[in-house]
Amino acid sequence: MKKRTFHNPVGVGKFTGLWLISPFILGFSVFTLYPFLSSFLLGMTDIHGDFTGPSNYIDVLTSRSFRSAAMVTMRYTLILVPLKLIVSLLTAVLLNQRAKGMGLFRTAFYIPSILGSNLAIVIMWQFLFTTDGLVNQCLRLIGISPVSWYGDSGNALFIIILLRLWEFGSAMVIFLNALRDIPAEYYEAAKVDGCGSVRAFFSITLPMLRDVIFLNLVLQTISAMQEFSAPYMITGGGPMGSTETVGMLIYDEMFRYGDTGYANAVSWSLFVLITAAVLLLFKITGKLREENR
Amino acid sequence: MKNNITALAAMLGLALLTSCGGSAESKDTSPDGRLDPCSLRFSWWGGDDRHEATLKAIDLWEKKHPDIKIIPEYGGWDGWTEKVSAQIKGGTAPDVMQINYDWLISLSMDGNGFYDLGRLDSILDTSGFDDDVLCFGRVGGKLNAVTVSVSGRGLFYNSDVYKRLGAEYPETWDDLIALGEVFGKKGAYPLDLDIQSGGTAWYLAVVYVQQRTGREFLSMDGVLGFTRDDMKMALDFYKELEDNHVIRTIRSRTDEDGNAALYQSPEFIDGSIAGVLEWGSSVGKYEMVLPDGVLEAGPMLKGDSGEDGGWMIKPSLLYAISSKTKYPDEAAAFMDFLLNDTECAVILGTTRGIPSSSYAEESLEENGLLTGLAQENDQMLEVLDTSTISPYMELPRMKEFYNNAIEKVSYSTTDTAEAAEELYNSINEYLEKIRR
Amino acid sequence: MKKFFMYLTLAAGALIMLYPLLWLIGGSFKSNEEIYSSVWFMPGRFDFSVYVNAWKTVTPFSMGHYFLNAFSIILPKIFFTLISSVLTAYGFARFDFPGRKFFFALLMGAMFMPAIVTVMPLYLMWGSIGALDSYVPLTVPSLFAVEGTFVFMLIQFFRGIPREFDEAARIDGCNTLQALFYVIIPCTRPVLVSISVFTFLWTMNDFLTPLIMISSVEKYPLSLLLRLSADSTGDGYELCKLLAMSVLGLLPSITVFAIAQKKFVGGITAGGLSG
Repeated sequence: MKKRTFHNPVGVGKFTGLWLISPFILGFSVFTLYPFLSSFLLGMTDIHGDFTGPSNYIDVLTSRSFRSAAMVTMRYTLILVPLKLIVSLLTAVLLNQRAKGMGLFRTAFYIPSILGSNLAIVIMWQFLFTTDGLVNQCLRLIGISPVSWYGDSGNALFIIILLRLWEFGSAMVIFLNALRDIPAEYYEAAKVDGCGSVRAFFSITLPMLRDVIFLNLVLQTISAMQEFSAPYMITGGGPMGSTETVGMLIYDEMFRYGDTGYANAVSWSLFVLITAAVLLLFKITGKLREENR
Repeated sequence: MKNNITALAAMLGLALLTSCGGSAESKDTSPDGRLDPCSLRFSWWGGDDRHEATLKAIDLWEKKHPDIKIIPEYGGWDGWTEKVSAQIKGGTAPDVMQINYDWLISLSMDGNGFYDLGRLDSILDTSGFDDDVLCFGRVGGKLNAVTVSVSGRGLFYNSDVYKRLGAEYPETWDDLIALGEVFGKKGAYPLDLDIQSGGTAWYLAVVYVQQRTGREFLSMDGVLGFTRDDMKMALDFYKELEDNHVIRTIRSRTDEDGNAALYQSPEFIDGSIAGVLEWGSSVGKYEMVLPDGVLEAGPMLKGDSGEDGGWMIKPSLLYAISSKTKYPDEAAAFMDFLLNDTECAVILGTTRGIPSSSYAEESLEENGLLTGLAQENDQMLEVLDTSTISPYMELPRMKEFYNNAIEKVSYSTTDTAEAAEELYNSINEYLEKIRR
Repeated sequence: MKKFFMYLTLAAGALIMLYPLLWLIGGSFKSNEEIYSSVWFMPGRFDFSVYVNAWKTVTPFSMGHYFLNAFSIILPKIFFTLISSVLTAYGFARFDFPGRKFFFALLMGAMFMPAIVTVMPLYLMWGSIGALDSYVPLTVPSLFAVEGTFVFMLIQFFRGIPREFDEAARIDGCNTLQALFYVIIPCTRPVLVSISVFTFLWTMNDFLTPLIMISSVEKYPLSLLLRLSADSTGDGYELCKLLAMSVLGLLPSITVFAIAQKKFVGGITAGGLSG
């Protein structure tokens, strides 16, 4: 075996880092590894708790409901995540100023994220998207005929995407944290050079935020792929299963149908999907992120 | 490293499998016929009225039995099933529990999930219950739970709208279908059926087919009684209601109300939807959003030649005792108090429906506490030859099957014959899987 | 002029963001019928007795009791999360050690599994050591950097701090932990504030875990109280009280955010970016 060299500051041993992350290692084995392993094994039991081998895992891969849920989840993630990143970044840039009233605006824009799954949201969303809802009334004003939202298997997913887009607060806060670290001199220098604010955004802000954009991209992708509460509250997975995400499938199997084995098998399939997605993100952004070093 | 993980996994697996297999046989505490001082945990879900009344009833119990303290554990409906099923799996369930009908299947498939109440009959008096009511709580020959109250779905109408349109409440199925035209002219609907939280669409179709054929949809022990043709008849009936403008199509219902229940719908509140099929025990939420006295109970639908079978009842709630309880006698005594004590009955009122125990019911009657739509519905069902809803009918997975079939028929993605075939097969397949 | 448009855009955005909150507050004064039939937030009348009733609750305790319960979960949790996440992230971001990539993969992997599958095994585990119906299952895991999100977040931010900073500190005689305290932490204070705020808000809203782990009404955190009266299977209930309770329940979260948000922004002067 080739001897590896550890790149650490002078006087720091190769175990210092290990020592620092020791709480994580301990916590991982107790609070993560143990439930994961038992979940994997539970995935090999049937509804009566009898051991069945890998049959649940095979069922998941061949079942129509999982395939459909995986497609819904993909579609949801691919539409939601980019939109959310753009909206939260632009809002953060706008709110990252020492001007009057900015504190109030920052709070206002975060409030949807605080409301979370409040009952009021469920009722409000109904008023927005039903046949005579606000959205359709607005469409009518500009001469577009009313759209079938809840009842249409192509449109229902957008109701949920919009709800989650509206809750962009956490991503915005992370961007605000990062924007703060960009030295103001950079912008001043750019201004002296006759650089407009749009140019400054693309040539200063975006490159400086690389790490954090990646952070938000990964975090949002993970949470979008695990989504279950929004469709659960707003559409119940319908119509025709068009909003039934994998996360909701897991919840249903686990708690509504009581099929723990199958639920765990689906969870592991979702785990594989998310791992693949995040590895892909690491891979395609690898070059970009390295330039930053 | 790799070997270690494999070893660990093997160990865990062993622990899991033995714990799964072991839980059923683990010894329970035998009754000793005495009431010893102890503390009992009692859990229920509900709304404010039920919480308040139950806490008062517990006070009364503690006055009568200062030695036996009750620790109440209560909450809303959201997540309560999850909580109780975790407790039962973990062996940490409360001594006395309010349970839902389908939990008997999901949590006590073989009758060993809850304490066998037959062993406690010296303390728990079941003489106030009809045999067919007691029967609800029996699983695998063991009395797992006692019915608190019985409920059936009935039809309730917005009397203002019916009067305005000069329409009579339907008596027969044909009357119902004829109403579609009357209401349709005004852009209204005489009834609502849903495939969301209520699942009333399939329910009414089952009643219809049961009445026509005399066959029961599902037996108490989970055997499908309907034939493929019966399934098709049910779906055809549903489609006929939609086609005749008696109910909204699934699509327009979903467009108008989203995923909400009917009582949350502006269309119900403004009267454009003028009827609902609902449990007598929970029709209150529909009454609440209409002016006082506007919602009225309508007759149970009959066939043309007066056939009136097919309507169903089920226990709306039951009480059970944990199989792991250390105090079976005391728990049984407390349960007996909740079910039969006349003073307690007055405190609890109808917060858990109209009590099935004749002692409690009489006590309510004497005190003039039995009034309203729930009572009317109860009486209408009482005179009919009702059949009992199988707990299997209420399993969430089964509801998913019916609702999918109806959704497909409504959206016309399949015809009723194909949907019926698919429904028939998936129900049979599933029942086989869970029955063991 | 530019400024005017900026404020106009922000105000329009804020209205969309805030409307449901307004509606929620209005709803607490309405009857069920009004709630379900109109999107307009203004109630017909104001009757504050609903708030008095909401504060009293149906339980033997007032709402204040449940706020305190929630805080006594949240405060230790924030403290534990900060310590464990910072140490772990520091180890990953600044040091090279055997198995670094492997452990990083574990850290990320732990986030990929839907949390729901861990509920039952953890319930059984806490049950076997008799820790159910206490705050231990809700707080102690935070001591062990279980929030991968926060660790990953900190790693990304730590990477943004030039290594020369800690090297300079080391030349000045700082050891590993001193470098963390005097260089890294001061540079990332806003991120630490964000993590505390996120922990606060998410724990405040957390429902399923406390519901499963805690059975005594006396120990319920606020999130359980808020749904204590909601029974969709039952005979109906007055929604306004539920809404009033959730308005009261939102107050600490909104206050905490409003105070903390000042720390999120720094250096840039007004107009530096506007337009």
